[in-house]
Amino acid sequence: MRRSLWSIIAALAVLALVVAGCGGGGKAKKGGTVTILDTEGGVDSLDPGYWYYQDDYKSLGQPTQRWLYGWKPNETTPTPDLATALPAVSNGGRTITVKIRSGIRYSAPLQTRTVKAADIKYAMERCFLPQVGNGYYHSYYGDIAGADAFTKGKAKQISGIQVPDATTLVIKTTKPIFVLTSGRALGMPCTVPIPKDYAQKYDKGKTSTYGEHAVFTGPYMVQNDGKGNITGYEAGKTLTLVRNPKWDKSTDFRPAYFDRIEFKGGFDATVAARKTLTGPRMLSGDYAAPPVAVLKSGLSSRKSQLVITPSGGNRYIGLNTRIKPLDNVNVRRALSAAIDRTSLRQTRGGPTIGTIATHFFPPGIGGFEEGGGVQGPGFAFASSPTANVPLAQQYMRKAGFASGKYAGPALLTFADDAPPAKETAEAFQSQVGKLGFKLKLREVPHATMLSKYCEVPKAAVAICPNFGWGADFFSPQSMIDPLFNGKNIVPTGNVNTAQVNDPKLNAQIEKAKTITDPAASAKAWAALDKVVTNQSYFLTWIWDNNVGLESKDMNGVPSKFNSGEWDLTFSSFKK
Amino acid sequence: MGRYIVRRLLWVVVLLFLVSLITFIVFYAFPTADPAQLRAGRQPNPQLVEQIRHSLGLDKPWYVQYFRYMKALVLHFDFGRSYHYNVPVRKHILDAVAPTASLVVGAAVLWLVSGIAVGTISAVRRGKLIDRLSMGGALVAISAPVYWLGLVALYLFASDIGKVHIFPGAGSYTPITDDPVKWFTSLILPWIVLAASFAAFYARLLRGNLIETMSEDYIRTARAKGLRERRVVLRHGVRSAITPVVTAAGLDIGILLGGAILTEKVFNIPGVGMVAFDSIQNADLPIIQGTVLLGAFFIVIANLVVDVLYAFLDPRVRYA
Repeated sequence: MRRSLWSIIAALAVLALVVAGCGGGGKAKKGGTVTILDTEGGVDSLDPGYWYYQDDYKSLGQPTQRWLYGWKPNETTPTPDLATALPAVSNGGRTITVKIRSGIRYSAPLQTRTVKAADIKYAMERCFLPQVGNGYYHSYYGDIAGADAFTKGKAKQISGIQVPDATTLVIKTTKPIFVLTSGRALGMPCTVPIPKDYAQKYDKGKTSTYGEHAVFTGPYMVQNDGKGNITGYEAGKTLTLVRNPKWDKSTDFRPAYFDRIEFKGGFDATVAARKTLTGPRMLSGDYAAPPVAVLKSGLSSRKSQLVITPSGGNRYIGLNTRIKPLDNVNVRRALSAAIDRTSLRQTRGGPTIGTIATHFFPPGIGGFEEGGGVQGPGFAFASSPTANVPLAQQYMRKAGFASGKYAGPALLTFADDAPPAKETAEAFQSQVGKLGFKLKLREVPHATMLSKYCEVPKAAVAICPNFGWGADFFSPQSMIDPLFNGKNIVPTGNVNTAQVNDPKLNAQIEKAKTITDPAASAKAWAALDKVVTNQSYFLTWIWDNNVGLESKDMNGVPSKFNSGEWDLTFSSFKK
Repeated sequence: MGRYIVRRLLWVVVLLFLVSLITFIVFYAFPTADPAQLRAGRQPNPQLVEQIRHSLGLDKPWYVQYFRYMKALVLHFDFGRSYHYNVPVRKHILDAVAPTASLVVGAAVLWLVSGIAVGTISAVRRGKLIDRLSMGGALVAISAPVYWLGLVALYLFASDIGKVHIFPGAGSYTPITDDPVKWFTSLILPWIVLAASFAAFYARLLRGNLIETMSEDYIRTARAKGLRERRVVLRHGVRSAITPVVTAAGLDIGILLGGAILTEKVFNIPGVGMVAFDSIQNADLPIIQGTVLLGAFFIVIANLVVDVLYAFLDPRVRYA
């Protein structure tokens, strides 16, 4: 009874959030200048090849560039942008042909040139260059024929990316890759066109400086001097976008209402949130949710200015399966049963911030429904919203701890030193204490936590309570493969933090990647979701929401593709 | 005096060299994060991380890295590129100097004028109501954390989120070259907030010194000569009692020119403090190194200025 009641409440909550997430009210008004208040530095690069974060997509990727495939705010499948249609697939899924629109122009200083297929080929190839620093090329483009030789410096081009004519791009892969045949992985900024003869000189040296001289194809461009020098960007402080005179609205699916978009960085989060709610013409910036106090007051007095959207991501506590007693699946299940997910959620602001998770996949990901939907696959230890200590003790006994409690040495734990993640870690510490677990809790800055400890196997950290993961382009592959495939265990930047290397699981993942039928693919990934939830490699506790704030006169539109961040090419002022 | 200043300036070079070496060792030998991994972005493959490590020269011994860093710095005044933003560090930091200088110089004027005035009046009116009120207020101002005071000031007086809309709020800083009036009004609240605790501290410092000075024999002599009390206090008392205030002011201004982090953060003034704060958050080592060097430079220069000022304030001090 309790379970079914919970399921109904959860389903209603998700429905309410999705409805809320449809964003803004009122008709769109064309023109005007909108200001986005960032708390940190906003974008981290002007180079499309480097973009891999929500801020990059929101601030630059969507407004200033056209990709091979774009994403409408409410859709979970890509829309042809520079491409004229979805990819034509042949040769058993190994050959992908994309036709390119003709007549798409670049901004100054290349205003006389149009986009050619060769520009996309170069853009994809430069993503493999270390001086560009792209973070996903190996995940999605690694199976393109000739990619390996290019990476090792044995070839000057990637032989599997071909341009038979100015408007045709052909990609040949060594095996069928669903994320490529479906066009999803071509809806990433590595497909933003970059002319080789213009950019190559900037791509030499230790780090590419192309970003400082970038040309634009989207409705907006970073303010520049018209000679190839960016003037509207001060790293970490301001970013100014103005209309791109070379953009042709008739060829684009984006309305692009604003005349000018200004990003201002460095605000205190509370001040930024208050300014946005009380002032005119503003949208919240680079924070997924406002500080807890502002969130609470906003919910009570300015609810219509809060735009809540499921982010397509989750939050979880990472357990290292190479460290005792976490190598025992029943200990992991015991911990999963012992945590109070509702209390953990409270540390970030309560129900608005997300739905209690019942399995690893968040809503919206292919395989979520097949994996049990909101109710989950039925693992009692993984789905209780509050702590179930008797169940946890049962699992501890199964694991060989007769008293139902752990009595071993304290476990090394690294957490974020800033709220709200810090509070989450401390709440977790207190909760697992009931099972006898003692944690050597170390709180450090976020970047340090990841790059020095939690993502470095040699650091032998047992528990990392402040993880979250969001899928790229709604792909279940990007939820499972990086995190649970044994081949992804690496010395640094290791996101397989559980250090799972199960040959059976690895083979299952590799097989799922090659299934190109969407229904069969979703089923295969759902089965993997069930496996990882049952194994409790991670203790998933919420499916995250993005909470955007808008001024009263704004009609902010969140982008599902971009974790619920604003799509500034669809947002507008209210009429 | 000239030789003394030249000698001190040479010491500045040595000091900056030492500071750069220590900073380098601290941040490069014991980094808080792996720069190559940070540059490689989310979910990088090991090959890419290693390629970046190699291309940035991070796979070389620390002393080789330091030599290269110093060579670029000395020969080309090149601080390298930011790992996080991939922009030149020199421009990134130098662009932030003017906002910090605007904030610090204005606040320093405010705290020196008010601190000296309050301290003098309190000392002269020792034990009276005005003294007790002033020192009580000073205690409150010293105790109030700058960040808290800044937020309270914004919530009360900022034109956007305040209860009483008087002063421009956070993020309104405008360079003096763009609009001098806006520059001035945008800095009124930050000046007051930054100056509050310093003014209180200086008032207490001066009060204590002045009370002691006013009981000296030469003060009694001055009074016996029939000098007016105002002249006795200002020309003989304050001039002698103010020396520690000058020392403190020199150091404080020097330190703050290296970044008034809390004030800049709460009012979102794009100064050196904000740059430093941001770079620490992002483990952006080249920028951290640059801001530390800049801070050290301002401190040693401020020290030099203080030493020179001593000679003018106290005729007994002469430098060989």
